[in-house]
Amino acid sequence: MIDSSAKNSLTTRRILFVDDEFDVRRVVQTCLEKIAHWTVIVAESGEEGLRKARTEQPDAIVLDVMMPIIDGSQFLSALLAQPETRSIPVVLLTAKADSLDIKQYEEMGIKGLIGKPFNPLTLHQEIATALNWVV
Amino acid sequence: MAPRSSHQPASTQKGKNKIRSASTRRSRKRLLQPLLEYAQDAIALVDDAGCFLDANLAACQLFGLSRQALLGRPLLDFIDAGGGHEGLNLQTSQRQIGELRLVNSRHVFSEVEYSLTPAVLPHGHLLVLRDISRRKAAIEDELQRQRQRVELFSEVTLKIRQSLQLKEILHTTVTEVQRILRADRVLIYQVLPNGTGKTISEAVLPNYPTILDMEFPEEVFPEEYHQLYAQGRVRAITDVHNPAAGLSECLVDFVDQFDIKAKLIVPIVQNLNHNGSTSPNQLWGLLIAHQCRNPRHWVDFELELMQQLADQISIALAQAQLLERLEEIVEVRTAELQDVNRSLKQEINDREHAEAALRQSEEQLRLITNALPVLIAYVDNQQQYRFNNNAYFDWLGKSPGEIYGAHLQHVWGAACYQRMRFYVDSALSGHTVTYENEITLANGNQRSVDVTYVPHLDDQNTVKGFFALTSDISDRKAIERMKDEFISVVSHELRTPLTSLHSALKILATGRLGSLSTDGQQMLGIADESTERLVRLVNNVLDLQRIESGKVIMDRQAHNAADFMVQAAEAMQAMAQQHEVTLIAQPQDLMIWADADYILQALTNLLSNAIKFSTPGDTVWLTAEAGQDEAIFRVRDEGQGIPADHLERIFERFQQVDSSDSRKKGGTGLGLTICRKIIEQHGGRIWAESTLGHGSTFSFTLPTLKE
Repeated sequence: MIDSSAKNSLTTRRILFVDDEFDVRRVVQTCLEKIAHWTVIVAESGEEGLRKARTEQPDAIVLDVMMPIIDGSQFLSALLAQPETRSIPVVLLTAKADSLDIKQYEEMGIKGLIGKPFNPLTLHQEIATALNWVV
Repeated sequence: MAPRSSHQPASTQKGKNKIRSASTRRSRKRLLQPLLEYAQDAIALVDDAGCFLDANLAACQLFGLSRQALLGRPLLDFIDAGGGHEGLNLQTSQRQIGELRLVNSRHVFSEVEYSLTPAVLPHGHLLVLRDISRRKAAIEDELQRQRQRVELFSEVTLKIRQSLQLKEILHTTVTEVQRILRADRVLIYQVLPNGTGKTISEAVLPNYPTILDMEFPEEVFPEEYHQLYAQGRVRAITDVHNPAAGLSECLVDFVDQFDIKAKLIVPIVQNLNHNGSTSPNQLWGLLIAHQCRNPRHWVDFELELMQQLADQISIALAQAQLLERLEEIVEVRTAELQDVNRSLKQEINDREHAEAALRQSEEQLRLITNALPVLIAYVDNQQQYRFNNNAYFDWLGKSPGEIYGAHLQHVWGAACYQRMRFYVDSALSGHTVTYENEITLANGNQRSVDVTYVPHLDDQNTVKGFFALTSDISDRKAIERMKDEFISVVSHELRTPLTSLHSALKILATGRLGSLSTDGQQMLGIADESTERLVRLVNNVLDLQRIESGKVIMDRQAHNAADFMVQAAEAMQAMAQQHEVTLIAQPQDLMIWADADYILQALTNLLSNAIKFSTPGDTVWLTAEAGQDEAIFRVRDEGQGIPADHLERIFERFQQVDSSDSRKKGGTGLGLTICRKIIEQHGGRIWAESTLGHGSTFSFTLPTLKE
């Protein structure tokens, strides 16, 4: 999903970050807020992420893959199943980037994949590039 | 024929003439009459019926009748029924001659020669008969004698010929001659090549001395005698003391010693030489008969017998000689055959040994191969099994008999054979190949196997087949999988806290969360740098594990080497500048077959190393050149160099030349190992060359695209 006009401004970006690890949530949130000045909504589980996606309608979702109960794949399926969340672009952030069945996720419409550990100073740029956002 | 007297009357002239001629005839008749009457031959006149009309005295005697009794009797009465008178024909005008057997009135038989002249008078035929009984008897006697001699001679010859042994032949000869001739002594004297000789065989009556083995003095048997005898002289001496015999005095003295009165000597002549061809007569010896009691006149038959037996001895000698030669030949041939036989036996022996050794070796081979828990086989170039060990039975449930001669596809099934085929073809092209495969055992279990095919080449380098070794690596594979999983899990588990740590430090370092004291910033810097290294290490470990586990499939495509070189140089330019190192890339247009990402990773890794280990002001070169079917890339630096004993080791994990130095440079100890894996996955080679103090060159090859 390419965002073209109103949401092009960096300050207006609203990102939902779903990760079960508190440390990672905090670091990513800090990175994107302090360096990219985006608004970051966090969710610590798949259920919470799905709910917040529906209620908060973020510009994009950055999703961890390895999570208990609802993993990345199930999250995507559920997201696609909700009409109100179906069009929200998703970028994966995973420590298993190299062993993941990327094809499966690509078929589910993900926009990009960023491996852990990532460079916190350029993370926002990688996300923007994946989403075709102008940084 | 009775004399008739008659008176002759005178008449006319003509009549006178007639009277004269009649008178002449009468006077002639008178003259002939006694001649006929007393002729030796029987003369008779017979009439047309064959009855006697007249007969002379000899005829009367022949038929044993007086003339009166004879006249009127038919001739037929006197012809022996078995005598064959059919030839006598009174009806013909031809003169007939022939023989008849007559039987006279006293039943005395006589053989006669007859001549019948028909019609000497009207109805009177002249029959002349001559008694030939005695002559015929004499001839028959002679024939009989001759037959006896022939029989005798045959008998002796037969006896002689019954043996092939010369000694026995000679003994038989003297014994037989002595018996037949009733001589007192018969001997054979052999003339030796040096002119001397001795008695070699003798038959002598008991009351006379033996002269066996005796050598005759030379004066008794001088050289000139040799010549004469060689020419066939035969001497028959009736009385040795008779001067007419012409014996020398010394010879007479010599024979007197043995009381010899008469002697008969015939030569034994030989005309065969050693190579079997004929040669002039040579005197071999003498056959001698002695009469000791009294002088003896030797008759022709005795002479003849002796001569013939001497000839027989000659033949026997020739035969003996031939036999001897034959025996020699046989001996030589036998020796040759024995040699051949010996060598044949040796050969057979050798072969048996070789076969036994082969059998033993085969048994040992079988013993060894059967004891090993791996599949061992030999497959011919028709892809048929020619040898397999017992493990085939244990694994596949197929007996050696089922497998021997069977095709690979038959043994392994179509699907498995499809996976094997490429490697089988390679092996049959003469290449040693090793690969991994998945097989299903007889019990249904799946096993991972490591398979090696080693081609079998003959002297002409023709592939006759290949040796196949298949080992079960399922356990190893399971361990590898566990290791891979472990590394994977550990690495991922490390990544999560690292991500937080790394990110937190980075954000702190930006100062956006507040400023730190100088010491604080320094500590933060150390933490950041160490975290960076830890991140690289985890990334490298994962890279290496992925490549080694075979999870990475190189996406090889056609690329220009120049593009890689430019990209890699660009990527490393910033680092070079940071290290104040000049990076020079000399791009070369070479089409290579490679996975772009991985080759770039390898190139940047090598360049990164070169820059890291250079001192400011140095230059790092990236060059490429075309080799045979390959492109050779080189990264050269002017650093401190690598000791020769480290040139190979540095490609192994965590084998830096100086690990503390490497750590200072931020190395993980896995970069070169990853490079080597990447290059090897591409079918290339990587190596290092270095001169201490003058820098190092890292080179690798990649296959170039064939036209």
